[in-house]
Amino acid sequence: MKRILASAAPASLLILALVAAPLARAAQGKPAKMKASAIQVLMIESDEIKLPAEFQISLYENLIEQLQKKGGFQHVYREGDRNSADVPDLIILHSTVRGFKKGSEMARQVTTVAGATSVSVHCEFTDKNGKPLLERDIKGKVWFLGGNLRATYDFAKKAAGVAHENFSAAGT
Amino acid sequence: MISRAKGIVFATALLLASPLVSVSNAQQAPGPTKVVQLTGLAGVKNNTKGKLEVESGNLHFVHSKSNLDVAATSIQDVVTGNDSQRMIRGTLGTLTMFAPYESGRFLSLFRSPLDTLTIQYRDADGGLHGAIFTMPVGKAEVIKSELIAQGAHTSIPAQTDAHPSGTKEQKP
Repeated sequence: MKRILASAAPASLLILALVAAPLARAAQGKPAKMKASAIQVLMIESDEIKLPAEFQISLYENLIEQLQKKGGFQHVYREGDRNSADVPDLIILHSTVRGFKKGSEMARQVTTVAGATSVSVHCEFTDKNGKPLLERDIKGKVWFLGGNLRATYDFAKKAAGVAHENFSAAGT
Repeated sequence: MISRAKGIVFATALLLASPLVSVSNAQQAPGPTKVVQLTGLAGVKNNTKGKLEVESGNLHFVHSKSNLDVAATSIQDVVTGNDSQRMIRGTLGTLTMFAPYESGRFLSLFRSPLDTLTIQYRDADGGLHGAIFTMPVGKAEVIKSELIAQGAHTSIPAQTDAHPSGTKEQKP
């Protein structure tokens, strides 16, 4: 019995080490969140890509809505909001459309596999002075359910997730 | 003599008919338009049905719970577009997906065209907002013209709006 216990102890320790190692690595690899109590969202730019006005507005409004819900910021300011001027740790989100494909809701509903709408946006988070803090390319898609504008909702949810992963009001 | 009498009768008929003509013109005067506010109006939920009207220098949105005014002078951009939607929508539309023999897909082919109206405006703090409305075909141009007449701005000149509904402006 003692022999069994003696051999089981190192084996269980080995298993524990194997399980714990990736978790510890993941915890170490996770970047520290940057401190930002508020964010200002600038209007979506689309100089190179011809983007319909309703998509531009929908991207902007969904982004603000999702950042308010999931971004983890105390305040989300719109472009031009004078109240943002005195916020010390404000970050600014610049978004530029890099790719856009307007699909067809009818094609999606009839064929299931065709007619997807997708939008690719380059998001740059900077501080008040314009110093870049984080850059990401984020895509929004609608494959089957919903109208074309749902791609903007998909993008906004992902962008708010990125903001939540990298910034927090307290900082860590 | 007979021709003179005919002239008098004709002139009298014209005089009598003129009030009727003016009444019919008054009936054609633009009234509230049934719209769906897709997104953007402060304090109004997405996809809210209501009525839209331009009066006293304001874009007036009325729905079941409250009213909302946006000053025409605060509108920085008005753009119209076009889209289409399924004729059978909502819960019933979703249920048709489970209809036998792929008849739901067949029903997706039946779509009704609609106009979109997209505006960008500033709030009292200078914050930039965007709002998107959908409405019956032909109504968006009328509202746009009224807004411009009352001080709203547009990035796309009114002359280019004279296209048929299939080739409406698309903001670059």
